[in-house]
Amino acid sequence: MSFPTKDQRQKCWGAKDKYWECLESSSEHQEACAELRTVYETLCPAQWVKHFDRKRSYLIFKEQIEKENNERVSTERS
Amino acid sequence: MSVFFSKMYKPMIGISSQFFKRSNINYQKTIRRYKTSLSRGVGKPSITWRSFIITTVFTGGLVYWVNLLREEKQKRENIERNRRIGKAAIGGPFELVDSDNTLRTSESFKGEWLLIYFGFTHCPDICPDEIEKMVKTVDIIDKNELVPNIQPIFISVDPDRDTPEVVGKYIKEYSPKFIGLTGNKEQVDKVCKAYRVYYSAGPQDEDKDYIVDHTIIIYLINPDGEFVDYYGQTRNAEEVANGIIFQMIKYEKLNKSSSLRFSSILKNSSNVQGN
Repeated sequence: MSFPTKDQRQKCWGAKDKYWECLESSSEHQEACAELRTVYETLCPAQWVKHFDRKRSYLIFKEQIEKENNERVSTERS
Repeated sequence: MSVFFSKMYKPMIGISSQFFKRSNINYQKTIRRYKTSLSRGVGKPSITWRSFIITTVFTGGLVYWVNLLREEKQKRENIERNRRIGKAAIGGPFELVDSDNTLRTSESFKGEWLLIYFGFTHCPDICPDEIEKMVKTVDIIDKNELVPNIQPIFISVDPDRDTPEVVGKYIKEYSPKFIGLTGNKEQVDKVCKAYRVYYSAGPQDEDKDYIVDHTIIIYLINPDGEFVDYYGQTRNAEEVANGIIFQMIKYEKLNKSSSLRFSSILKNSSNVQGN
């Protein structure tokens, strides 16, 4: 199995970005983005899908932590 | 004053009174000479052109000499610092295979500046980003006529899948300037150990596909084959290029009798870098 070419990479990233955008705008409704998810899964290798899913949950987690920290800092200040 | 003294001590020390008398006469003479010189010197500037030129040349020479000494000291300090920490910590000899199946050793790259990145061809996002960044950095360096060119190198940390042909095909997609290296597990382990690169293949799925977790660092190697600096993920192409240019000029200055062009740039860039 050869590596994904530049063209394949870019198609995969594009599909991933669209799927992520959909999740964000539909406040994480996976059913609403099911179609985009299918496209994303067809265009990206299964390992990459797993990797990007993990990465997204990590990014969301990170954002939450940062938000909480910011809120704590601002309440402490006021 | 001396009149007063000579009177006072006359009864006590006869010989010294002679001395005081003589010195008193000498003193009077000096005063007279000074007064005449003053009356003669009216209207003359106290700083003449001659004395001004002599002072300037002398001061200039002194400043130049002090600078020279300081430069020498810096050179010695740099050499000493490299000897103590730089060389031993990271880098070392390696033997890998390029995309034409030719053996390439660290020795064969001597004389060139190298920018090395470790990755794998099935890498989902980080390697492509970092390699694209390296392409931009190398273009900036190669366009700059004041510094030498740099050779970008990709070393695979996935020896099982990344054969020389695969690596060659992969890396040429980014830039023809790149050299892609790989090897057997032993060879890859050796170079990773030398550069303190961690890598670990993740679990395989049904398609036997897997992701390799690895250190994301770009290494700068000088023409002597020594590790000089590293650049992490957070630095963009311009920042990396500036760092490299700074190191190249520093190297040039240390190794050759510095041309004026280089030394003036070094001064500017060292101000910017705060080193």
